[in-house]
Amino acid sequence: MRDASQLSISSIAAQQSMLRERLHRLLALLHPELYNDVVLALEGAGKLLSRPDKEINPLSPALTAGVWPLLTLLIAQYVLPDIDLEHASSVAVAVECFVCALDLLDDAEDGDQTPIVRTIGTPRVLNVSTALLTLVQHAILSLSKQGIASTLTLRLLETIQEASLNAIAGQHRDLLAEQRLAQDLTQEECIEIAAGKAGSIMRLVCRLGALCAGADDTLCDQFSEVGELLGVAHQLDNDSHDLYHLLQDESSAILSEEVVDTSKSGKTDLVRGKKTLPVVLAAKTSTPLQETWGSVNEENRQYLQALQEGIITTWGICLLYRERARERLQEIEAQKPIAPALHFLLGL
Amino acid sequence: MEELQIQEFVHRVSTDEELRKELATSPESVIMREGFSPRVARIITRLVPHLAMEKPMEVSLGFWST
Repeated sequence: MRDASQLSISSIAAQQSMLRERLHRLLALLHPELYNDVVLALEGAGKLLSRPDKEINPLSPALTAGVWPLLTLLIAQYVLPDIDLEHASSVAVAVECFVCALDLLDDAEDGDQTPIVRTIGTPRVLNVSTALLTLVQHAILSLSKQGIASTLTLRLLETIQEASLNAIAGQHRDLLAEQRLAQDLTQEECIEIAAGKAGSIMRLVCRLGALCAGADDTLCDQFSEVGELLGVAHQLDNDSHDLYHLLQDESSAILSEEVVDTSKSGKTDLVRGKKTLPVVLAAKTSTPLQETWGSVNEENRQYLQALQEGIITTWGICLLYRERARERLQEIEAQKPIAPALHFLLGL
Repeated sequence: MEELQIQEFVHRVSTDEELRKELATSPESVIMREGFSPRVARIITRLVPHLAMEKPMEVSLGFWST
């Protein structure tokens, strides 16, 4: 098992290197001053040009960089093992630019003080996002110079447009939900928002890989479904863990009557009133805290307990979505075995 | 609906001390009695150690999480 993992890691590292080279060629189009900021964004945590911290992930530090384009590439290679790498990598780096652009917009809209926002400021972050979205189009349109049929290029662009609109709608619903009371939202709405945001992006990542390799509609739909289920699971996993870790700090503060500065983390979801699933579930059974966490009383204790229940339920639903994704992947694998590296990357 | 099954079971466990005790001593029999589907039973089994929030959450599932 360990040997298989090591083999997957070395295979993935080689693919990462190839994608980085392709990405650098795409970035060469940019003005040097814009280039510097775009590279900074693509060096962010988890991005293709990032330098993973070996202390965080000692087993496989390479795996934390550029997972999205790697997935697109490996799915394309699953569908068509001898696919032209210039063709597949052009689509994969378009995915990297797309995901990075939307992440930057999401951070700016949420007012998160992420490292890049602190370094270059929100106006430049927004401009970098615009540049990345333009590079997405450029990378896909470059396929026409590689002898790819214009019908396929158009289908790829249409797929990206569709995913963009779904992701933007999901983000918009999320922003509007901030103005609503947590008690007024339903579990279904929270999952729909997660599906719109993370689900549609991961769906795109997987679908583009299948589509660019010439998969038929059935296989494209199967990979799309795996992606969407994993995207929702990913979002719920983040929501439950982010709140769990925040509560670890906040519980200590409440019990010791200290005030904690929650802005230190950079992510401000709870402070902004983000209606994530655990928060919505907690509001069904207890009254949310008002204004400050820093007081000891029975209502606060009850609400903390309700939040803990919401975290566990959310994590359970996250596991449910992963189980569903695993079952869909098994249906694909029934047709042809999936490479260990792709299994490894999907975490399934 | 499996989502609702998970939600209702977690709520019952967190509000019913007797059920918590039973789950701590004999989780398999509780899960069997509830009649969960194999998929939900696998998930509940994984959640059991965390239901009392006494054991730290497992690390985030996706290594692609950042």
